Amino acid sequence: MSEEEILIKIKDSIVKGEEEQAIDYTKEAIKLAIDVKTILNKGIIEATQIVGKFFENGEYFLPDLLISADAMVGVMDILRPKLLSDVTQKTNATIIIGSVEGDVHSIGKSLMCSLLEGQGFHVIDLGTDVPPARFIEEAKKVLPAIIGLSGLLTLSINKMRETVYLLREEGVTSKIIVGGGILTKEAVALIGADDYATDGWEGLKKIKQLLERGR
Amino acid sequence: MTHNWKASMDRVLKVLSGSKRVDKVPYFALIDEQMLTRINGINVRTLYSSPEIYAKSALIATEFLNSDILCLPTVYTGPVEAAAFAEVNNKGTCIKWFDYQPIFVEQGVICKTEEDIERLKIPDHSKSKLWNTTFEASKILYAKTQFPQNVGLGIWSVVQQLRGVQAYRDMRHNPEILLTLCEKIYESEINVFQNWFDKVGVSPYIFYAGYAFNRTMMSFQDAMKYEGQFIKRLQKEIGVPFILHNCGMQPYFEEACREISFAAVNGSHPLDINFWINFKKQFPKVTIMGANIDVSQEMLTGTPADVEAKVKENIINLAPKGRYMVSPVCCLPFNLPLPNVMAVSSAIEKYGTYPIQEIGE
Repeated sequence: MSEEEILIKIKDSIVKGEEEQAIDYTKEAIKLAIDVKTILNKGIIEATQIVGKFFENGEYFLPDLLISADAMVGVMDILRPKLLSDVTQKTNATIIIGSVEGDVHSIGKSLMCSLLEGQGFHVIDLGTDVPPARFIEEAKKVLPAIIGLSGLLTLSINKMRETVYLLREEGVTSKIIVGGGILTKEAVALIGADDYATDGWEGLKKIKQLLERGR
Repeated sequence: MTHNWKASMDRVLKVLSGSKRVDKVPYFALIDEQMLTRINGINVRTLYSSPEIYAKSALIATEFLNSDILCLPTVYTGPVEAAAFAEVNNKGTCIKWFDYQPIFVEQGVICKTEEDIERLKIPDHSKSKLWNTTFEASKILYAKTQFPQNVGLGIWSVVQQLRGVQAYRDMRHNPEILLTLCEKIYESEINVFQNWFDKVGVSPYIFYAGYAFNRTMMSFQDAMKYEGQFIKRLQKEIGVPFILHNCGMQPYFEEACREISFAAVNGSHPLDINFWINFKKQFPKVTIMGANIDVSQEMLTGTPADVEAKVKENIINLAPKGRYMVSPVCCLPFNLPLPNVMAVSSAIEKYGTYPIQEIGE
């Protein structure tokens, strides 16, 4: 297989959510000494763009997004140790994420974690029903670029507001994004977060934008 | 003033049947543990402590909010159903209690593995303490008011609790195991309905939480596969009217109503009133309960005047020909400003008395 063919195979496998194939092709690409940055750009990044387009067009849904993300995670696990420092600086920002206190919903948060890991971010998942003190403790320990607060319940809006307030009071300067289908521009203004997203795909785009702006 | 439950029942049943002889637009407030505890000044454990306390608290809260529909939040196969599965499968530690909101289970713990699904035991609800309290409380409410109440069913709502995010992977990697889980939940739903019916002795309405019918989650084909086909079977087996509830951002209300017979739909999205005006034209026999009044919008961040304007917009556009009930969606959260909550029923008093003039008349 030529370099071009194998990169197409990696990309297609990710788009189709075929994790095992994506991993096998990536291993083969490395054996053929294809540059890891090329695999990242032609495999993962191009696949991400296609998956995103399919999702936005209504051809892909949450299950498709999730299995594609799983395939990306599989590929990234292979690439990560081999990536050069200039690339890793761009891709492996640390993000801590959790469902706020009182909210035990985890599906949206888990999807977000997979999408982020698939893009090479270092994700620390604090789980569900996370009290503000736990976010503060972790934020002070790892100094994340981004903190993601997730919630499905309307009640969580108040808890997000409290968590953001306490994080800022404690001097945490990380960008804070809140996520959940309940969120509106008005609610986010109340919460005081830097941005918000109502689905995982939007969340990924907004996190990348926040990182770009913060650079 | 004492709530007139006979008048409420008359109003609700007439609206659902399409009668023109309705006095006022009915109000359906989705009252769960958050409002029950807030209004009654008790916590959830006290609320559930006896059928008498539970029934009395539900009645007080419903009457305080002037809602025309009376039902109990735990007559719903969502988190409480998942808790029943947790108990019977020895995974009670994943049940989380809160003081002023419903109990929840940690999503994905009960059916973490495929073996968990294969071995999953179906709860006998007559042996569950919380379900029995619920059935008894429903019976008390019926004896006091003669109001028929809702029983809340839903397949996907329980799938998400039991299997968590893994359910979405199963849809592509192992649909058979997912359907096995759906079948088990279906059997459990029948058990809930049968127990409620045996205890209360009247036919309820089915308030069906059709969470699969949401474009942000799955295709309509998948929604039919994992939820729609089970609704059709439930309808055949139970034979009572179904109300489709979906509080998601992009519900498949039109598509679902083309495939399945519903007496009513309950949702708040899309927020564009024109969607609901067109929906009414397309499905003149389906009652709209809700339209675009959402508890995360004006009711949370606006003023009573904003809420009044929203209720008015819904009434003047959707109520003149009947088959419309005001209903903010979803459950009224603990943190809503009370003046905004009360603005809903005040606005109905102001704008919702029939005859209501159609726009352009």
